[in-house]
Parts: sequence; C-alpha cells; structure tokens
Amino acid sequence: MAEEDTTVKEPLDLIRLSLDERVYVKLRGDREIRGKLHAYDQHLNMILGDVEETITTVEIDDETYEEIVKTTKRAVRYLFVRGDAVTLVSPPLRT
Amino acid sequence: MSEQTADAGAAKTPADFLKSIKGKQVVVKLNSGVDYRGVLACLDGYMNIAMEETEEYVNGQLKNKYGDAFIRGNNVLYISTVKDK
Repeated sequence: MAEEDTTVKEPLDLIRLSLDERVYVKLRGDREIRGKLHAYDQHLNMILGDVEETITTVEIDDETYEEIVKTTKRAVRYLFVRGDAVTLVSPPLRT
Repeated sequence: MSEQTADAGAAKTPADFLKSIKGKQVVVKLNSGVDYRGVLACLDGYMNIAMEETEEYVNGQLKNKYGDAFIRGNNVLYISTVKDK
C-alpha cells in the first residue's frame, strides 16, 4: 500500500488528513460540533464520535429589548451530520 | 514595472481569477455575512475552500481563529483579495 499522501491539493484533502482526529465543525443555525471524525464523503456528510454539540440562541428580552445569548450543550456518542448543514470544518492544529 | 503579473486583475475568466489568487491573503464572505480572512490554500469546482491562518469576523469583530479551515462552497458569497498585512 502506498504511503499516506499528506499534501493538500484540493480542499477535501484537509478533511481527509483529519480522519480519526477531533475536528471542529460549524453548522447552519448557529450550531457547532466537536468530535472525532470517523468518516466523510464528498457532500461533507460525516460520522463523528464522542460529540459535543453547542447550540447558540439569541433571545430578545420583552421589556428591555436586550439580547440574551444562550448556549446549550449536549453530548452524543455517535452523530451523522448531513453535509448540506456544514459551513466550516477545522482540523486539529497540526504541528 | 508596467506589467502586473502577480495582479489578479489580469484574470480573463472567473476560473482564471480563482487560479491566480492561490496562496494570497483573501477575504471570503459567506451568505450568513460572516467573513473569513486568511491565506487561500486551494479550492475546487464546488468553490469549497481550504484556508490557512484563518480569522473569523462576525459583524466586523474577530470571533475565532483557525490554523486550517475548510469552507463548504455552497455558503460562499464572494472571495476577494486583500493587500498583505
């Protein structure tokens, strides 16, 4: 088998090099996910493991009209993410 | 120098422009209004983008930094070049 190609020729290579690593994924609707990337495809459908999802909501106070930013977190063992919801994927810092 | 070989303005088609800006400092704006500033590493036919030293700006304020970032092409509103810092 050939050695793993570590060069980045196209954007998806960045995702390929993050397999089995923890990644940060930004989704539509102010959702963020951190988890271990088990699998992905060209649509950016992804299988993530040991996931922490962070949901950010902004509410407007009825009386003071102040913005109240709330973050909700939840943990999921395995998660399938549909690719069309993905806006950004950031691999772990490579050294 | 009259010729600006490194100038992205020499591009003839959008694809030529995109080819010419690899490795340059760019701003990528998404449909959501979020800006990403960084060095364009590469891009593909879907306009998926790989960026380095990326800074995320929401409402003009720096919100996040990423060493590498993959941006899914369908979210891209525009890509513009900026002068190096």
